[in-house]
Amino acid sequence: MVLVGVETERAEALAVAAERELRAHERTMSRFDPEGPVSELNRRAAENAVQPPQELWEILSLCRDYWKRTHGAFDITLLPLTQLWREHLDRGAEPTAEALKQARRHIGFERLDFDDSARTLRFLSNEMSIDLGGFGKGYALERLAGSLRAQGVEQALLSFGESSITVLGSHPHGPAWPVGIANMFQPSETAHTFHLRNASLSSSGTAPFNRMGSSGALGQIVDPHSGRPIEGYRTLSVASPSGIDAEVLSTALLVTLESDRAALISEFSSVSAVEIVYYSEAGKFVPKIDWKYGL
Amino acid sequence: MDSDSSLSSSLDDSGRADRREFLKRVAVLAGSSTLLAQLPWWSPLRAAPVGESPSDRVRLGIVGVGTRGNLHIAHLLRTPGVEIAALCDDYEPHLDAGLAKVKGAKGFADYRRMLDMPGLDGVLIATPLYLHARMCLDAFSAGKHVFCEKSLAYTIEECQAIADAHRGSKQVFQIGHQRMFSPAFLRALELVHNGEIGQITQIRAYWHRNGNWRSPVPDPSLEHRLNWRLYRAYSCGLMTELASHHMQVANWFLGAHPVSCVGYGSINYWKDGRELYDNVNLVYRYANGTHVIYDSLISNVFYGSEIQIMGPKGTIEAETGRLFAENPAPAPGIVQLINGIEHGFFDTVPIGGPSWVPDLKKDTKGTLLAKEKTTDDGTAISLAAYANAIRLGEPIPGMMEQACGTGVCVLMGQAAMEQQKQIAWPEGFRV
Repeated sequence: MVLVGVETERAEALAVAAERELRAHERTMSRFDPEGPVSELNRRAAENAVQPPQELWEILSLCRDYWKRTHGAFDITLLPLTQLWREHLDRGAEPTAEALKQARRHIGFERLDFDDSARTLRFLSNEMSIDLGGFGKGYALERLAGSLRAQGVEQALLSFGESSITVLGSHPHGPAWPVGIANMFQPSETAHTFHLRNASLSSSGTAPFNRMGSSGALGQIVDPHSGRPIEGYRTLSVASPSGIDAEVLSTALLVTLESDRAALISEFSSVSAVEIVYYSEAGKFVPKIDWKYGL
Repeated sequence: MDSDSSLSSSLDDSGRADRREFLKRVAVLAGSSTLLAQLPWWSPLRAAPVGESPSDRVRLGIVGVGTRGNLHIAHLLRTPGVEIAALCDDYEPHLDAGLAKVKGAKGFADYRRMLDMPGLDGVLIATPLYLHARMCLDAFSAGKHVFCEKSLAYTIEECQAIADAHRGSKQVFQIGHQRMFSPAFLRALELVHNGEIGQITQIRAYWHRNGNWRSPVPDPSLEHRLNWRLYRAYSCGLMTELASHHMQVANWFLGAHPVSCVGYGSINYWKDGRELYDNVNLVYRYANGTHVIYDSLISNVFYGSEIQIMGPKGTIEAETGRLFAENPAPAPGIVQLINGIEHGFFDTVPIGGPSWVPDLKKDTKGTLLAKEKTTDDGTAISLAAYANAIRLGEPIPGMMEQACGTGVCVLMGQAAMEQQKQIAWPEGFRV
């Protein structure tokens, strides 16, 4: 978090408040917190309808809207399928067709049964689980940006592990915040620059399973339609006035065919996006802009 | 043809059953690559592809049909223009198993009888170390071409005798250091030549396994014959059987042999009656001040086997085929951004990207050297080189230098550990 034009003492207080706010969001959305409401859903919602806390209910409803708007490309229920691929490809094997078929019975947003009047949720398959990993950072940043604005901060850059960035106002020495998408293989080089003003940027990336070590497995993205991992080394970055839109679209566009992407984006406003694909040339991976929109 | 990609793709034989086609591609590459032109032992591979006529056929005999001998059989059966005419082993079960694989080959218990066999062009010696010298020398005397498994010989004097016997001869001699023909190591060498790591300032190599390094013995009386790698009368253990591979690469990449070495070895875990060390630690010194640090043990396999070639600009791990760039890690984006703001710069900062990245700032994963997976560790190509050289009737240039440089080097290491003192390169040794 970089705050501009804020006294040191006040900035420190804002940083403390920001951390508190982010931790609260994490508790609401993390599936890794065994005491958290997402874990409770994942444990119990297959047996009974569960009423999540108010904020989580709103988040899940938002996710439902995004699932519809992205024609199913954004889906928070893919974990069983992603894990199946991870477990197999870590060992160098592909899951069998039968195992894939089985896993696909436990994914799909349509298998989440929302009861809007009772504000409850039920899993229609017993091995489902919800993972807000592709949503939470955008949501948290959007909320944090709102809090900072409310406190009078006009210029700031908020980076959530570099994959999600939100800026307030502009860079102190220019008309916008120039944010470069780092070359995955040469982090000091920029593969594309976005000029952000009161906007958010989110990037999703993927790599061939067989080229990843254990730490790489976190980056894998599986296409909900084909049930297979996205191939190649690629990153898709989306800039948008909304942090959540940017976060959701960076994953959704990555799994959407190029020919269908413009139609998907037209459901959103003021979005620009770029897909960078890394091609092997003379033993090095060279970034190329494979697709872009609104730039 | 000299670009990185052609080197790795032409030498990629994975998934392609036809060795003849593969060797045709190798020949084209060997004739056009400036890198390979600098490696004299590649010259036989430039020969025109072998035809089908009987006169093109090279007839070979293999002495020693153990693990390595069997691997040679498997490769030679696929190598065009080669006939395995004879197999020799004084251990009958091995000989019988070998003969069952090679139709029409003649079996021998005594290699000298095999050398008398009419029409035999050359031999492959895959016997315990202590037999290498006498077999090489007898084969040379019998007018045969020789492929000898590494390491060259049991003593430095024997290395010298082999070099002396071969000097000026038209006979082909080859040593079984297959990394000289390994696509992965060629890529590594190419990077060194291109200055990717700068001057080589240190090489660190290791070979770690976890196991007793024994073969099952049907009868205690066969212990020494089958587990010869554990006994000093037959071998120098980890040095000659494993270290020789990496010391060959070190000498090759440094273009020199060491001037001296020191080291310690002991048996600290497998105290089962063996005589040879189960762990060794050595430092070799080269004339230009470069050191090669080598260690090997058979009680821990965590780090496996690797040779790390280091320079001011990077590190190459050649066994796994990766380059790790040394260039200082860029300031993390945020720090760079703040510096810019404080100094009035309006610059793009590469700060965005997916949460997953292949190379983090520490470059912990490195860059893969070859984009295609190659199944051959160099053995297939090296055997083709041997057969071609016999067909051409020309010795393989540079081969004896590599064999002797390495053969002497590992024996120096064994001596340093046994005598617990610094051992110098033998003055007057001549290839």
